[in-house]
Amino acid sequence: MYDVSRRQLMRVGLGVAGASLISGRVTPAHAQTQTLALYNGQHRPPVEALVAAFTAATGIAVVSRNGNSAQLASQLIEEGANSPADVFWSEESPSLAAIDEKGLLAPLDAETLKQIPAAYAAKSGAWIGAGARCRVVVYNKEMIELSALPKTVLDFAGEAWADKVAFAPNSGAFQQQVVAVSLMKGRDAALAWLKGLRQYGQVYNSDSAAVEAVEGGDIAVALSNNYYWHALEKELGPDSMNSALYHIGNQDPGTLITVSGAGVLKSSKQSEAAQRFVAFMVSAEGQAAIVGAIAEYPLRPGVVSPFPMKPFDQLDPAPVTPADLGDAADALALLREADLA
Amino acid sequence: MTRSSGDRDGASRRDAGGPPVSRLLVALALIPTALIALPIVYVLLRSWGAGWEGILAELGRRRTLMLLGNTVTLCLSVTFTCCLIGFAAAWCTERSDLPGRRIWRVLCCLPLAMPAFVASFAWKSLGPAFQGMPGAILILSMESFPLIFLPVAAALRSMDPGMEEVSRSLGKGPWQTFLRVTLPRTIPALGGGALLVAAHMLSEFGALSLLRVQTFTTAIFQQYELQFDNASAAVLSALLMLLCLPVAFGEMWLRRGVRFSKVGRNTARRIAPARLGRAAPLVTLGFVVVALLALGVPFGRLLYWLVKGVSAGRGLEAIGPALYGSLSLALPGTVVTTVIALPLVLLVLRSRGVFARFADRLPYVVHGLPGLVVALALVYLSIRLLPSVYQTRVVLFAAYAILFLPLAQSAIRASAELVPREIEEVARTLGRSPLRAFLSVTLPALAPGLGAALALVALELMRELTATLILAPTGVVTLATEVWSHTNDSAYAAAAPFAALLVLISGVPVYIFTLRMLKSVPERQISEATT
Repeated sequence: MYDVSRRQLMRVGLGVAGASLISGRVTPAHAQTQTLALYNGQHRPPVEALVAAFTAATGIAVVSRNGNSAQLASQLIEEGANSPADVFWSEESPSLAAIDEKGLLAPLDAETLKQIPAAYAAKSGAWIGAGARCRVVVYNKEMIELSALPKTVLDFAGEAWADKVAFAPNSGAFQQQVVAVSLMKGRDAALAWLKGLRQYGQVYNSDSAAVEAVEGGDIAVALSNNYYWHALEKELGPDSMNSALYHIGNQDPGTLITVSGAGVLKSSKQSEAAQRFVAFMVSAEGQAAIVGAIAEYPLRPGVVSPFPMKPFDQLDPAPVTPADLGDAADALALLREADLA
Repeated sequence: MTRSSGDRDGASRRDAGGPPVSRLLVALALIPTALIALPIVYVLLRSWGAGWEGILAELGRRRTLMLLGNTVTLCLSVTFTCCLIGFAAAWCTERSDLPGRRIWRVLCCLPLAMPAFVASFAWKSLGPAFQGMPGAILILSMESFPLIFLPVAAALRSMDPGMEEVSRSLGKGPWQTFLRVTLPRTIPALGGGALLVAAHMLSEFGALSLLRVQTFTTAIFQQYELQFDNASAAVLSALLMLLCLPVAFGEMWLRRGVRFSKVGRNTARRIAPARLGRAAPLVTLGFVVVALLALGVPFGRLLYWLVKGVSAGRGLEAIGPALYGSLSLALPGTVVTTVIALPLVLLVLRSRGVFARFADRLPYVVHGLPGLVVALALVYLSIRLLPSVYQTRVVLFAAYAILFLPLAQSAIRASAELVPREIEEVARTLGRSPLRAFLSVTLPALAPGLGAALALVALELMRELTATLILAPTGVVTLATEVWSHTNDSAYAAAAPFAALLVLISGVPVYIFTLRMLKSVPERQISEATT
């Protein structure tokens, strides 16, 4: 009796397994309407806001495969010409630049590229920025005075800042910052800066982990993207924040503008709809949807962010554009030479 | 106990035309072996892309040495700590007169339900003191020791007390009896558990990245963040597999030639418990501390986030789909993994041949690989060889099997080793066909092990993140992907319900697993099945 019921159980289990194997791909209920496959590495709130607006405006459905931008880029490279993806939306532009170099991206419509300043799109025209962020310094107000913070991000790599600075060498934006330092101050200066940070700074796995460490009082200062701090502020409430943002300005690489962005896969079989999606991202409606959900600066003139960010025209950022940064490939070589990777 | 090392399959040779079961078994064992070979081939192909010079340069770096040091330190320290805590807890709850043994037994299993990244997140928020290597060793030991506790407790429980009584009656003291009789009989259980813990540590990513400890696995993830077409990540992966080799074969060496099967009805008799006497309060205190560290801190933090935080309630509409996603991937994935593992275990128990041993060990070598590497290997291979199955469950289940076969193997083997081969042979001589003899005699006897395997694999699959993100059908979400997504946006309160549900759901396989492991008197079931 014992074993009969067990065998039945096992049969049922095998049946379930078999059925689910066969059922395979998820077929959307609205099979007739067009559905785009979006590989999404960007934070989800702005993507969900944009997708909702896009579907409402065009009737085209979008299914997102969410993941980490760099991992999705690796996946797209492994998939090659057979990729099921139509659009890739990346949290950082170097992931887009990397797959562009592999010849996986199709050129964007000229009309789309015209919607925003050329500095925020690829020189090849294969990807375009969706929102801008800036590199900032997050500091714990109880551990350090605003006036004690340096006038250039390069100073953080010195003994005076030993064990006080959190940074995330894994983060795509940090890698872009490294390349910016290299472009502006020379490769040797960038290497010296990284070696100094390795010696005196504290490595964190991500910008958000570094920002939380500052907020929690573990460490005084973090190099980060602005929106991680804004997300934490939103979560904890503005009145209870122990940390604040410091914008270095002075056209220093410590205030670097980077973008999240998107491109259309060359292998897409729905390239017209995919192009429409990317065009919608930089439309007035699309930009409003994006910046309403994440503390990024709109790239399209005339759109306003609801977040209390320092005005874009007052940032006085480094004179290096996302297009200049490309795939930030030299960052890896520099990080390896400094033994940070 | 019988010590049998040679080939004793005389009965099966009696059939004309050789042993049909064995041939079928070998064929079935080829399936997992072929699957496991996929990531190995991929890693070797990609490493080759670096060229000899690249490989040597990677090996000679100071950083590689640092990673090696960290990886080995973490792996050995956590495994050793888990062995100590797990064994001590098992002995106290099974062999002593500790008050409240039943409750402690349950509490010692519950940490299994807590994913390491949730626990690490909770600890991390207590302060920087818990980050870094010492913190990681503490936290991961607290979450992993049940993997030792459970098999050792089960082994102690199913052990024939007669041996210990004989030893005592021959004038050996309690310590000598423990060292000469009790301990050697728990070695296979202890070794099997230690192997799983060690392999887990080699492939752990989420917890370590939160706790800021750099190992080969975190470095492999970093490589994929920094560069996209990656030879040095492949070289690190190959190194990681080399590190798994001594782990995988060390455990086999520990259990060389040992079989603890018994023929005949086991006595349900329990040995008289050891008296703790005045040590009882101290031992109890130890259990309280372990429970607080392993359960109190993570659960407390989860509750805190559930009630605090502005993002509370955000994305709650995804709870249904996420729960469905988790179950619809984890449950069939579990069945597939367990079914695939079964022939491997049976084969190595019946044949001492090179292929059997090799096939049995290979999954353990791959178990140390990060999910990311296995997932990318399957992307690369499936889209080229079988594009129609790409991003269907077929490929995802293959990845699950590759990643978690050893969990199923260990659990099934624990039961399979207790089944005397003679029983199946008896059924055969009574005229049953090999397949029927297997189905009616061996399979039912394996039920406890299969149950444990299903529970253990389900547990891991529900919290699996990387392979699921990369290989699941587009649009499918699970509890684990939602937790990851929300914490990625610093929306901890939004993540908390998903994490809590994940822990709650994980409680079910933990409960089943615990019940299975601690209930085992398989001999009785065999005799029932054969009558």
